[in-house]
This record gives sequence, structure tokens and C-alpha cells, in this order.
Amino acid sequence: MDWLFFSEIGLAGLGSGGLYALTGLALVLIYKATRVVNMAIGEILMLGAYVFMGFSAGLALPIWASIILAILVTGLVGGVVERAIIRPMLGESAISIFMITIGLGSVLIGVVEIIWGANPQRLIEFMPKDPIFILDAYLSPKVGYAFLIAAIVVGLFLIIFRTWRGGVALRATAGDQAAAYSMGINVPKVFSSVWVLTSMIAAGAGILVGSIGGISPDMGVYGLSVLVVVIVGGLDSLLGALIAGILVGLIETYAGAYLGGEFKMLATFMLLVVVLVIRPYGLFGTHEIERL
Amino acid sequence: MSILKVAKRATGALLAAGLITGAAQASDKKDIVLGGSIPLTGVFAFAGVGIHAGITDSVKIINDAGGIEGHKLVYVPEDTAYKVDASVAAYNKITSQHDVNLYYGDSTAFSKTISPELDRSGKTLMTGASFASELNDPEKYPNIFIPGPTYVDMVGILMKHIANEKPGAKVGLVHSETEFGRDPVEGAKATAKELGLDLNLVISTAPGGVDVSTEVLKMRRARPDYVIFHGYVLSPIPEFIGQARSMGLDTKFMGTFWSMDNQMVGKMGEIADGFMGVMPYNYYYTEAENAPMLEKIRSMRDTYQSNAYMQGFFSTIMMAEAARNVIKAGKELNGPNLHEGLEAIKDFDTGGLMGIPVTVKGNSVPIGRVYQYDLSKKQMVPSSDWIRLD
Amino acid sequence: MRIGTVKESYIADAALFDTKVQRGWMFALLAGLLLLPFFTGQYASYLVCLVLINIVSTAGLNILTGFTGLVSLGQAAFMGVGAYTVALMEIKLGTPFLLNLLVAGGLAAVIGIVVGLPSLRVKGLYLAIATIAASVILHFVFANWTSVTGGVSGLSMPPASLFGFEFIQPDQVYWIIMPITVIMLFGAANLFRTRIGRAFIAIRDRDISAEVLGIRLLRYKLLSFAISSFYAGVAGGLWAYFFRVVTPESFPLTMSIFFLAAIIVGGMGSILGSVLGAVFMTMVPEVLKMMVGVLSPIWPDAVAVMSPVRIIVFGGLIIIFLIFEPDGLAEIWRNIRRFFHLWPFKT
Repeated sequence: MDWLFFSEIGLAGLGSGGLYALTGLALVLIYKATRVVNMAIGEILMLGAYVFMGFSAGLALPIWASIILAILVTGLVGGVVERAIIRPMLGESAISIFMITIGLGSVLIGVVEIIWGANPQRLIEFMPKDPIFILDAYLSPKVGYAFLIAAIVVGLFLIIFRTWRGGVALRATAGDQAAAYSMGINVPKVFSSVWVLTSMIAAGAGILVGSIGGISPDMGVYGLSVLVVVIVGGLDSLLGALIAGILVGLIETYAGAYLGGEFKMLATFMLLVVVLVIRPYGLFGTHEIERL
Repeated sequence: MSILKVAKRATGALLAAGLITGAAQASDKKDIVLGGSIPLTGVFAFAGVGIHAGITDSVKIINDAGGIEGHKLVYVPEDTAYKVDASVAAYNKITSQHDVNLYYGDSTAFSKTISPELDRSGKTLMTGASFASELNDPEKYPNIFIPGPTYVDMVGILMKHIANEKPGAKVGLVHSETEFGRDPVEGAKATAKELGLDLNLVISTAPGGVDVSTEVLKMRRARPDYVIFHGYVLSPIPEFIGQARSMGLDTKFMGTFWSMDNQMVGKMGEIADGFMGVMPYNYYYTEAENAPMLEKIRSMRDTYQSNAYMQGFFSTIMMAEAARNVIKAGKELNGPNLHEGLEAIKDFDTGGLMGIPVTVKGNSVPIGRVYQYDLSKKQMVPSSDWIRLD
Repeated sequence: MRIGTVKESYIADAALFDTKVQRGWMFALLAGLLLLPFFTGQYASYLVCLVLINIVSTAGLNILTGFTGLVSLGQAAFMGVGAYTVALMEIKLGTPFLLNLLVAGGLAAVIGIVVGLPSLRVKGLYLAIATIAASVILHFVFANWTSVTGGVSGLSMPPASLFGFEFIQPDQVYWIIMPITVIMLFGAANLFRTRIGRAFIAIRDRDISAEVLGIRLLRYKLLSFAISSFYAGVAGGLWAYFFRVVTPESFPLTMSIFFLAAIIVGGMGSILGSVLGAVFMTMVPEVLKMMVGVLSPIWPDAVAVMSPVRIIVFGGLIIIFLIFEPDGLAEIWRNIRRFFHLWPFKT
């Protein structure tokens, strides 16, 4: 057994796990606040990456401005989507809204293809290129820095979520919508802001993912792995998303390295099946009790 | 645009269409239809758009020069989005509306799918975007030909080049996990053995898989002197090269035909310098003596045309030549006769599309040339002479 | 105008077609189906066959999702099971096509039951995602069990044959596809006149209440999965006979979403909805293609935006129908019918 190789793979897995955790966080937030599983998260992530490319390569703006603009624009799109197609569905069954987001994903793919074409593209390189060595183990610089950024964003986010007023309102809404309403919390506004916020997170994740492996309209399949992350962690658990994100990242990368590229998806979904059988509501999710 | 204008233009277009069909009817010789399942959209759109332009121009040139022995060549394309079932649908649609003798198919999978149908109908000769070695079997695929060397041949040409440069070198093969990507793997293993090369790394990448960091780690372990990519247009080749360079590997990277477009390689940026590959045709910008066809292309289109354009162009003139041979021999246009017509192509001068005269061998045209990217010129420049495989 | 329908017995109330007019139309439709291939070209026959195959699969998914309330994104994968079964039996055994189709349906049903097993513990979104897992795993099997499935290159198979006659062209395969589709549709319609069908509906409306009423949840949920997958398996088998080549890429996840979209657009919990939805969703790309054909003299790039527009229209239809007409085309159809029945009075 080549332990150096093993640890290098582990590092790479940790890196992609960090990005899963970040995107998973966005998915869990939407679910917690609005009880919607956003199947379009992968497509929103893709949109963010393309908008970034549009600003940085198309309009030749500086990188930092492009990143900020891409995140803002995608956030705006998230807000519009919420108002236009999610708000009218309030009170409908979870499954209907779930399917609406599937439709949304399809629309986003088409829009991106019309604007930027279907060919795979590359983002402008903006991360340092010097290789990172942790002891002897090599870590791709892009993956390393992406992990670092993801970790910082997640950390910041958790602090805000705990302390800031809006974060409290969000948690209150998540706990009990009716009660939150009666306490004077503007629930529709919370809904909108959650969509804006999570779309912004997804855009950021999209820029990171895209700068590692390039972008294409079908990079939305990334969302499938993220879906596994949140189901494994528990749909309503932030901590679960973080842990499961790392777990899925590691399992996927090890499977890819030792078994072959085609085993990546299989390993991820096998994990999903195992978790669904052992703990149907995820490792950290709450089991909701139904009453008549 | 106002509705009136649209209407005007529409009537104009209809009139034009009417005139064209009228003109066709005026000539007493029957039109020869070239159908096409063309991936104008989807993941292979880059190639599809080029192929479409190449076929269109080539058909125009042939018709301007009096058609195929007086028969007008008509091109009927249909978009497939590079999906097999859509390609089959396109084939069904075109063949139900026209009497199709020539066909361009868009993928290895489609060629294999439709082959039994071609045999059954016995009317059509097909070529396409696929160079799969599997199709190079006149017994099994009598109605299909490959407009160039097979993928195995391409890898073989590259390996020969490697064996000349550095005998016994360590070689890696990175291919996509598709029918297209898997095609040369077994052949490459055999060729490497024959040439005494050490093929110590074979990596398959999942389709749509964007993160290649673990694959690069494997490459770092194997430290191949050369890596051949097959089954990609661009992504993830730049990622591989970029990460390998940042690890300090001085591996040389190579590609097969579909990775060889000048603009695509240019998109890699600095790391493209020294990227090598095999290409059976001349590039749009190639300055060669006795290349009237290249001159004509450059006069028709004043901007760079992709390698896919050349592929579509070459495919068309080969099919037209096969049809010409059939008509000259006074035979009926059908599958078996077209195949004979194709086999009869000996030392055919393509007007500079290929650097040397073309002779069909089996179902393919095993000719190619190794090119290398020169960053200062921003061009692929030849680094070998034309190689004819025997 | 129709004054009213008088029903004297329960049987009359539960009849599939409650008026003579309706029965008349039904016969007209069947006669039309019998005469159709004599009046259409190959391409039209091709489209009709494709529509019919999609109808079978959509009807199957509607039984599971529309009538039992269990969302599945595995329909295409079950079709794949059916298609591979048919291809293998045709290549290796050469058994008659009816038997192959039955086995294809049966095998798909068995796999459907396995996939449905978590449905007792998880439901709703979790179940939908479990079915995605099933389709990923099945896709892996199709692509990598090379000795059986032929790997990524898939399988090419001979056409269906009966007494030496080979069904090759679309207008020939039609004679296999059309009768089977009709039979399967009647089967589905009749299912909901039985205890099983009513149990499905009870589970959809509130599964805990249904359990209280004495419906064994696991058994009926699994039964629903089995029936739905059986339909998918048969549809996949027909698909295989139609295209005569089966590859792992033939049944992608997007195809499952297509069927889901078809039942949403057509109308969930309605057999008529399955038919309308499948017809509509299959024909939309064709209509777009025709529009491109019309537009291309004026706008040569029309074909380049065709594929993205198709994706947008596809997603847009899901969204629009869910927001504005959750009961789908079937409801629109009923409204139109009601209008004519009651005319000149307002509904």
C-alpha cells in the first residue's frame, strides 16, 4: 500500500468534500426555511459559474469585480425565481414544488446554452498556481485554495446564522412558520432572502468548482452529488451537511482513485442507499412524526 | 423587424426555394441526396457546426463544377444534439422523404446502430464523425467508411513517433469513458508492446467528470514520458497539463484528431506549447503547393475554419468520388456499388486537403501527420512528414 | 346538450365509458388506429410509434405517482431493464416477442419492488431521491456489466418476427406496439375499478388513514411499484424492438424527468392524462423542429438555438402547468367537454 498516494487522495477528497459541504449548506438552508428541496441547485451553481465567465472573460472585468457581480446577479436570479414560481406554490405539496425546481433546472440549462453555447468552457485562472505540499503529500493548488475559501465561507455563515437578527428570524421560521408569523416575523421576506442567499452561496461554489474542472451546461449533475450529501446528513441539519459533505467527497475520490472514474457516482449513491436503509432521515436529520 | 418585412423575406426565400427545385427538375439527371445526422447542438456542437459548414461548402463546389457527372448533389442535414436516438430519428425522417444514397453520421454509436439498417436497405454509403477502428471491417460494416485513419491508427502513428524520439519510453493513455473514448485502448496496448514502449498508465475519465485531481495524482505516480489523450475536444486536457506542469512533470502531451483543432488547442493558453497530435488533413492555413482546394476554401471563407470543417469537407468529396466512380462505370447507385466505387479510389488528388494522394484501404484512409503547437505562431505546425500506414 | 345521465346500477356508475356517444368515439378511435399506417409515411409512423411507447411508460408512472402518490425518478431505468431483457432474450434465445415482452415487464416489476422497499420507511422527497439512486446504480450495471450488456457499446438485436415476417420499418413495428399499448391502457383504466386501484388512491390521499382503513401499506405500495415498473419494462421492450439497439445512454435520468413532466402536463391521476401528456410532450420537440424548418430561410441560425429552446420549453411546461393547471391537459379536456355538453348554458 502506497501511503503517500493514499494520503494525497485523501487530501483531494477533503478538498472536493469542502465544496460539497458548502453547496450542501445552501440546500439545507432552503429546506429548513421553506421546506423545499431545490433540485435546481446544481443548475444555479452552473449559472453562477457562467455569469462569472461572462463578466471576467466576456466583458474583461477584473477578477474580484467579476466574482462579486456574478454572486450578486445569481442572487438576484434566485430572488426572482422565488417570487415568480416558488411563492405561487406556497401551501402546495412538497412534491409539486420539488418538481417545479426540476423544471427550473431545465430552463436554466437552456438559457445558459442560448447565451454561452453548449461547448465546455474554461474559467480564467485566478488562484495561485504553486503546488501545495503538506509534508510530502501533493495537493492541487486549486483544490487546496477552493477548500480554504469554502471553509471560510461556511465558518462566516455559521456565525451569522447564530448571531445576526435575520439569521434568528430564519431559524424561527424554520422552527414553526405560523408561530414566526405571529411573532411579527415577515415570513415571505425570509423566504425571499433565503433564496437570494442560497443562490449566492451556490454561485460562489460554482465559481470554485468551475475553476477546478472547467464549466459546461451539464455541470448541474454536480447537484446530484450534493443531493446525496444533504440526504445522508439529514435534510434539516447544517452540521449534517458539513460532515456528509466531507464524507461524500472522501468516498467519491477514493472510489475514483482505486476503482476507476466510473465508480464515483456509484459509490456516492451506494452510500445514499445504505444511509436510507439504516437511518431513513439521514445521519443528523429529525424524524418527523406524522399525526392524523 | 416588422411583420411585413418578415413576410417579404419569407416569400423571397420561398421563391428562391421554388426556383432551385425548378432548376433541379429542369436537369434530366436525378439528384443525388447526401443526408446527414449532424450534431449542431449539444456536447459535440463545436464539431457539428464545422462539419456542417464543410459539407455545405464542398457540396457547393462540387455542384458549381457540374455536379457528380451531371447529377446535382443535394445536402439534407438534420440536427441530432449528439444523441443516438435523435440521430436514428433524423435518419428515418430523411430517408422517408428522400432517396438517400450518401449519409453522414455523427457518432460511433450511431454508425454501429444504423449499420444493420444500411445493410438491409442496401442503398446507402455512409461515413461520419467516427474514426472507430471497429468500423474498419469491410465484412462487418460493408456500407460504412472512415474518412481518415482509425483511432487505433492515430494512436499507432503517435506511438511510432514516440518510439523514434525515445525508444522504450513510458507512455500513458487517458481516454473518456464513452464508446468513442474506449475504441483504441486494446489496440494501443498491442501497438505499445510491438514497439517496445511501456504503456504504464491507462486512465478512463467519467463523462462530465470535471475534477481530475485524483487522475493527475495517478499520473504523478506513473511519471510517463508521454501521455496520449483520446476522446475529448478540449476539457479536461488543459487541467491535466496544467496540474502536471505545476507538479513539475515534463511529460509530453498528445492528442488524437478531435483534440487537434487549432483554436481549441489555442484556448489552453501557455500550456499548449508543445502539445502534439495526429491530423489526417491539412489545416485551413496550411501553405502547400498544388492545393487548389485549400485556396478555394480560403476564398470562400476568410476566417479560420476548424479541423471539423476539413473533416466534413473531405468526407463529402470522398463520397462524391465514390458516386462518380459508380456512375462512370454505368452502374446503379446502391450500397454495394458505392462500396466498390469507394474501393476503386486510388491515388486520388484531393486538391490539397490531404498532403498526399489518397488511396482507400479497407474501410479507411490510413494517412496522417504529426503536428506540434507552436505558441509563438499560435499554430499547429507539422513535426513529421505525411505518414502512410501499411 | 346532455340533460343528465341516469345510472341505475353501481356497475353502470363504474363503467369506463358511460354514454353511447363515448363508446362510439372510442370505436372511431380504435378504427382510426387500425387504418392509420395506410395513410401515413414512414416518418409519421415513426412518430406515432414513439408516442405510443411513451404512452405506455407514462401510464405506468401515473399509476405510481398520480394514483398512489409515490414520486419516482427511476422510470427510464426500469425501461432500460425491459429493453436489455428483450434484447438479450432476442439475441441469446430467440424466443417469441410476446414472451420476451412479458418477461421484460416481469423483471422490471421485480426490480421495481426492490427499489420500492424503502417506501415504507421513507416517503415523499426521500423516496424520490432513493429512486434516483436506483437509476444511477442500474445505469452503472448497464454500462459496466460488459459480458452481459455489452458495456458502453450496448447491444444490437434482430427485429421481432412472427411466422417468418420481420417487423423492421416503423409502420411494421406499429402492429406490435399499437395493440399492446391499447391493451395496457385498458388494463390501467380497469385497474381503478378494482379494490387494488381504490387502495392506491386511498394511499395517495392520506397513507396513514388508508392504513387505519385496513389497507396494508407495504403490500400495496410495493404492488404499485411493481405494476408501474411492469409498464415501464414493457415500454422499454417495445423501445428495444423499435430501435433495435440498446445502450446505457438510451435511458438517461432526463428521460425519467420527461415521463414525470408528461404526467404533470397531462394530468396526474388520470389515464386520459397519461395519453394526452405523452402525446403532447413527444410532439412538442417535433413542432419546434418544424418551426425551425419554417424559420431557417429567414434566420439561418434557428437550428442552433433549437436544442436549448427545447430544453427551456420542456422545463417551462412543467412550471406553467404546476402553477396554473395542476390537473393538466386532462382537466382542460374535461372543461371543453363540459362546455359542449352544457351549451348553450354556462358551466
